[in-house]
Amino acid sequence: MKKIKIGHVFTYVVLIFGALLMIFPFYWMIATSFKTAAEYSSYPPVWAPSNWLNFSNFIEAFKAAPFGRYFLNSVVVTVISVTINSFTTICASFAFSRLKFKGRDFLFGCLLSFMMVPFEMLVITNYQTVSKLRLINTLAVLIVPFTTSIFYTYILKGFFDTISDSLYYSARIDGASNWKYLWRVMVPIAKPSLVTIILLNTIASWNSYLWTSLTITSNINRTIPLGLTVFMTDAGSNQQLQLAAATVTVLPMIIIFIFSRKYIVNGVARGGIKG
Amino acid sequence: MRVKIENLTKKFGDVTAVDNFTMTFEDGELVVLLGPSGCGKSTMLNMLSGILPVTSGKIFFDGDDVTDLPPQDRGIGICFQNYALYPHMTVLENIAFPLEIKKINKKERNEQAKKMAQLVHIENYLNRKPRELSGGQQQRVAIARALIKNPRLLLLDEPLSNLDARLRLEMREEIRRIQQETGVTTIFVTHDQEEAMSISDKIVLMKDGKLQQLDSPQELYDDPHNEFVASFLGNPPINKLNGVINQDGNFVLETGDVIKINNPQAKVGEKVVLGIRPEAIMLNQNEHDMTATIVQRYTMGKEELAFVKVGNSEIRVYLSNDYTYKVGEQVNIKLRNKGIFLFDQQTGARI
Amino acid sequence: MKNVKNKSNEANIFNRKWEPLIYLLPFAVGLLIFTVYPIINVVIMSFKEGYRLSGAFNGWGLANYIKVLNDPLFKNAIKNTFTYVFTVVPIATILSIIVAVLLNQKIKGIALFQTAYFLPMVTSAIAVGLVWKYMFNTDIGVINWVLGLFGIDPINWLGASNGVAPYNIWVICIFGIWNMMPFTIILLLSGLQNIDPLYYTAARVDGANSLKIFTRITLPLLSPTIFLTLIVNMISSFKVYNDVIPFWRGEAGVTGRNLFTFVYYIKNAFYSNKKLGVAAAASILLFGIIFVFTMLQRYIQKKAKN
Repeated sequence: MKKIKIGHVFTYVVLIFGALLMIFPFYWMIATSFKTAAEYSSYPPVWAPSNWLNFSNFIEAFKAAPFGRYFLNSVVVTVISVTINSFTTICASFAFSRLKFKGRDFLFGCLLSFMMVPFEMLVITNYQTVSKLRLINTLAVLIVPFTTSIFYTYILKGFFDTISDSLYYSARIDGASNWKYLWRVMVPIAKPSLVTIILLNTIASWNSYLWTSLTITSNINRTIPLGLTVFMTDAGSNQQLQLAAATVTVLPMIIIFIFSRKYIVNGVARGGIKG
Repeated sequence: MRVKIENLTKKFGDVTAVDNFTMTFEDGELVVLLGPSGCGKSTMLNMLSGILPVTSGKIFFDGDDVTDLPPQDRGIGICFQNYALYPHMTVLENIAFPLEIKKINKKERNEQAKKMAQLVHIENYLNRKPRELSGGQQQRVAIARALIKNPRLLLLDEPLSNLDARLRLEMREEIRRIQQETGVTTIFVTHDQEEAMSISDKIVLMKDGKLQQLDSPQELYDDPHNEFVASFLGNPPINKLNGVINQDGNFVLETGDVIKINNPQAKVGEKVVLGIRPEAIMLNQNEHDMTATIVQRYTMGKEELAFVKVGNSEIRVYLSNDYTYKVGEQVNIKLRNKGIFLFDQQTGARI
Repeated sequence: MKNVKNKSNEANIFNRKWEPLIYLLPFAVGLLIFTVYPIINVVIMSFKEGYRLSGAFNGWGLANYIKVLNDPLFKNAIKNTFTYVFTVVPIATILSIIVAVLLNQKIKGIALFQTAYFLPMVTSAIAVGLVWKYMFNTDIGVINWVLGLFGIDPINWLGASNGVAPYNIWVICIFGIWNMMPFTIILLLSGLQNIDPLYYTAARVDGANSLKIFTRITLPLLSPTIFLTLIVNMISSFKVYNDVIPFWRGEAGVTGRNLFTFVYYIKNAFYSNKKLGVAAAASILLFGIIFVFTMLQRYIQKKAKN
C-alpha cells in the first residue's frame, strides 16, 4: 500500500516538473509582455512584472507596426481558406467514399502517395504560378494554393467510410438526392471529424510562414507571423515589444486549444501527422 | 400490392447468388425469405428494393415492370438489420425525414409522424435520439419511418437479428400486428426458421441461390419437397437415418435393423434417407415399428426429450410424462403417419 | 461480406456517371494546379541547366545536381539538418515516452497536464521562439541564470566567439525538442491506450513490479507506435526551417550561414539567388530522403498490422 503511494508521488512530481518546463516559455512570454525595459534586462531575471496591467508594450508595438492590420489579415486569410478548403474536402471525401466511378480506388491511392511530397518541393513552381496569376502581394496568394488538402480529405473520407451503407440506402430510397444526403445526413454525423479538420487547418493556416514570407512583401498584406519576423528586425533592442506582439500572435491559438483540446488531440492521434 | 418475379437471376462474377426465380406474392401478404446465410435472400431483397441491379429477369409491382426503376421511384419502405436511423436526428425527425425530402411542411409532416409513432407505440419517445433507445424501440422507429410514405411494399432485412431473445419474440408479434393493421404487403428476410414460421403467410425457402420450396409455413413443415426443407424447419430438428428399402417395402438400417414404413413409392433396393419428426415417434406401444435403447434424457420444462439408439444412429424422441424411463432401457417405437418422409440419398428429393 | 458484394455491383443506380466529377471538380482544380503540376514541373526543372524565372535555360543535364552536391553550403546544410534530426528526434522521443506513460495513469488534473504538455503544438514556432531567444540570452537569459545556480559559466548560446558559434545548433535543438514533444506524446498516448489493460492486471497478479511491467509489457507493446513516431518526426524535422527563424532575425545562425538547413538552402537558392534549377534539384534530394523514410514507415505500419 505504501509502495503505491510513493509511486504516485513520483508520478506527480515528474509530471508537474515537466509541465512547468513546457509551460514556462508561455508564462515568460506573457509576463515579459508586461515588463518595463528595465525589468526586461535586469539580471537576475525579474519573475513577474511589477504591474500586470502595464499595456504600454502592446500599445507601443501596435504603434510601431500595424499589428491590428496583420491580425485582421490573418483572420481573413484563415477564415476564407479554411472555409473553402473544408468545402472541397467534404465534396471530394463524399465522392471517394460514397459515389461509384471507374478508377476511384486507384485515384485515391495516387492521392495518398502525393501526401509524402513536401510542400517545400512545390514552392518553386507554385511561386511561378501565382506570379503568372498576378497574385503576388495580395491576400489571395495565401488562400488560392490552399483550397484543397489531400491530408484532410484522407481523414474525412476515412470517417465517411465508417458510416453504414444502410443509412445511404434508406435516405436514397426515401427520395433524398446525393447532395441532400451529404449535407443533411453525412456531414452532421461527421461533425466531430469535421471540427477536428477545421481546427487543425485553422492552426496550420494561422501559423503558416514559409509561403507567406515568399509571396508577401508589402507591409499592409502581411499576416501576423510574417509581421512579427519583420518587426524582429525593426524593433531593434526593444525586445519586450516583440514579446508583446508574440503574445498577440499566439493567444488566439491558445484560446482555441483550451476550448477544443479533445478534438485537436483526437485528430492528431488519428491522423498521425501534424496539420 | 401484388409482387411478381419472373426468371429473376443475379450473378456476382461466376457466383450465381439468385438463380432463376419465378414467383408471385399476393396483396397484403407477409412473405418471409428464409434460408441459411449466403443463400441469396438478402440479394433477392436488394433486387426488389432496387439497391442491386438484376442480371436477368423481371420484377413487376401490380403489373408494372419496375426492373429498371431506381429505388426511390418504386414506392417501397425498407428497414435494415442495423435500423439505419440517423443518429443526429430525434425520433420525430427520423420518422418525418421521408416527408421532409418530399418538401411537406413541418407542421403536417410532424403530425403524420406522430400518428405513425402511435401506430408503432413509440409516441412517448419522440424527442429522444436513437442512441437513447433500446434495440426494440429503434426497430419501431425504423418501421415507422419506412411506413410513413405509405409504401406499396415494405421490406424488412433481418429486422430482429440484433435483438435479444425476449425482445425478438415481442417484436415479431409487433411486426405482425403492424402489418395486419396497415395491410401493407411485406417481405421479411430471416435465417431463423422459428421466426419465419410464426410470422408469415408464405415462406420462400432458399439455399445456394436456388428456390427450395414456396408454401405456407404449415405446408412447408408437413410436406417438405426435399431433405433440406425437412431438416431446415423444425425444432428439435428432424431425425435422419440412412438405409435401403427391402423386399417388403420396409426400411433397413446398415446394421440390419428394420423399420416398418408405409410408402408405396419406395422402390426395392433404393438407397434412401428416412426423416422422422420427433413428434411422429410414439414410445412403448404394443405394436411397434422398431426397437430402440434410451441413451440420454433431457428435461425441457413442459416435456422431456431423449436420445435413443436405433441401429448405430441416435434419434430424438419425446418422452411421455406418465412413465419414467431409465437410461439403457429398451423401448418399442411406433411411428405416426404424419411427419415421416423418405428422401433419395443422392438428390435429397422427396420420394 | 454481403456489403462488399453489393458495393461492387451497385453500379450507377445511385449516381449518374458524371456526378462524381461535379463533387471532385473543386478539389481537382486546386490539386492539379498546386500539387500535381508542380511535382512534374520540379522534376523537369531540376534537369534544366541555368533555369531562370523567365523560363529560359541553357540545356538539359545533371549540372544542377552536381552543383548542389559540390556546394559547401549544401554540405553544411546537410550536416546541420542531420545533426538536428538525430539529436532532436531521439531525445524528444525518450522524454515523450516517460511523460506519456505517466500521463496514461489514473491521475488527477489530467486536463491541466494535457494542456500544459500539448500547448506548444498549436502555437507558432516563430512567435514562441522569440521568448526562447530571450531565455537563451547570454547576459540576461533565464537559462544561463539557472545554469549559474549549478556553477556553470554563462554560455554564449546565440552568438559567436572568434568566428565560431558552437552553441547555435544547440539552441534550435533544445527548442526543437520542446516543439516536438506534444505531438509525440499524443501519438504515444493513443498507442498506450490501445494496450489491453488486462496485460497489466495479469502481470500484477504474477507479481511484476512497475519497472518490470514497463520494460516487459509496455515497451514491447508500444514499440510499433514508437517506431512510427520516430519516423514521422524524422520526416518532419528534415524540413526544419521555422524553428530557426526567430533566433537570428530570420537568418540561419549568427553568421547568417552557419545554421543553414535543407529548406534554408532551397529557399536561398530559389529566392535570393534565383537559381531555380539548383533549388529544384535540392528539393528533389529532400524528397528522396523523405521518400525513403516514408517507405520505411509504411513497411512498419504494415508489419504492425499483421
